[in-house]
Amino acid sequence: MKRFQLAGLFAVLMCAPHVFAQSKPVSDAATVEQLKKFDHDWLDAEKRLDIAYCEKYFADAYVLVFPNGQTYTKKEWLGILKGPDHPTITFLNPEDIQVHLHGNIAILTDHTTLKGHDSKGNSMDGVFNVFRVVTKQDGVWKATGVVMNAIAEKK
Amino acid sequence: MKVVYGLATSLIAMAAAAAFALGQTPQKTGKMTSREDAAATIAVMDHVWLNAAHNNDAGTAAWLFADDFVEIHPGGDIVDRAQQIDEIKDPSRKFAEIHPDDINVRYVAPDVAMLLDTTTIRGPQGGVNYGGKYKVIRVFIRDQGRWRAVGAGIAPIQP
Repeated sequence: MKRFQLAGLFAVLMCAPHVFAQSKPVSDAATVEQLKKFDHDWLDAEKRLDIAYCEKYFADAYVLVFPNGQTYTKKEWLGILKGPDHPTITFLNPEDIQVHLHGNIAILTDHTTLKGHDSKGNSMDGVFNVFRVVTKQDGVWKATGVVMNAIAEKK
Repeated sequence: MKVVYGLATSLIAMAAAAAFALGQTPQKTGKMTSREDAAATIAVMDHVWLNAAHNNDAGTAAWLFADDFVEIHPGGDIVDRAQQIDEIKDPSRKFAEIHPDDINVRYVAPDVAMLLDTTTIRGPQGGVNYGGKYKVIRVFIRDQGRWRAVGAGIAPIQP
């Protein structure tokens, strides 16, 4: 009888690591905090037109989709930021950042408030829910994709 | 007759895509698929995803979407896996049209991928009345030997 109990206990212990190892996205608290900070750093860099930061931390595959569906590659977007027609951003702040971490890729959703204007003086003010993709490349997290959605008023 | 032919063609294409996607085999540790192979598979998964949405096929959606799936809809609504599957299986809505074009697999690593496509959607879902073309980023991970969707962001293309 005791032998059966021991066998049962052994079976349970053997199963436990397997159960706990099943990966739902890794909940790595430190990485989550790192990625939340990255979201802020990234937007701060765009606000102050820090091209060097963007060159370093935007992936070659980077693509930006504006709320009107207009799409820019890294080269196109950085070309705008460093050109004479760059936007003037006075406030750019992500809040309620949710990190969905999947190993070497993460999806961040956030609620971003933007205040500023384009080179022609047209207001860019708005509140957006933003889908961001970041990928870890050679140990460095890089901005890889963005889709911005203006938040519709609820009826 | 034209309709029957079109329907048959669609069914064959969907069956081929599904067979290809469902047939993904587990990789031995350390063995990497080529970027081209992975990109081709990801493009097929895009079709599988939208076919599931078109056919109210919650089973395929559940098979495809990873646990921590998240999607941002036009209008800014953020939905999780369960909510998105509920919307797909909702019998009160039926997309007249939903399909991807211009699939551009922009990033592929051994276990992750991201694509950009232009998706045409016509019909209601989840409180949104879709009617046109959308730019969509879709994200996939390779989980236990097969690609699964972990998220999408959708923005309408305004004329």
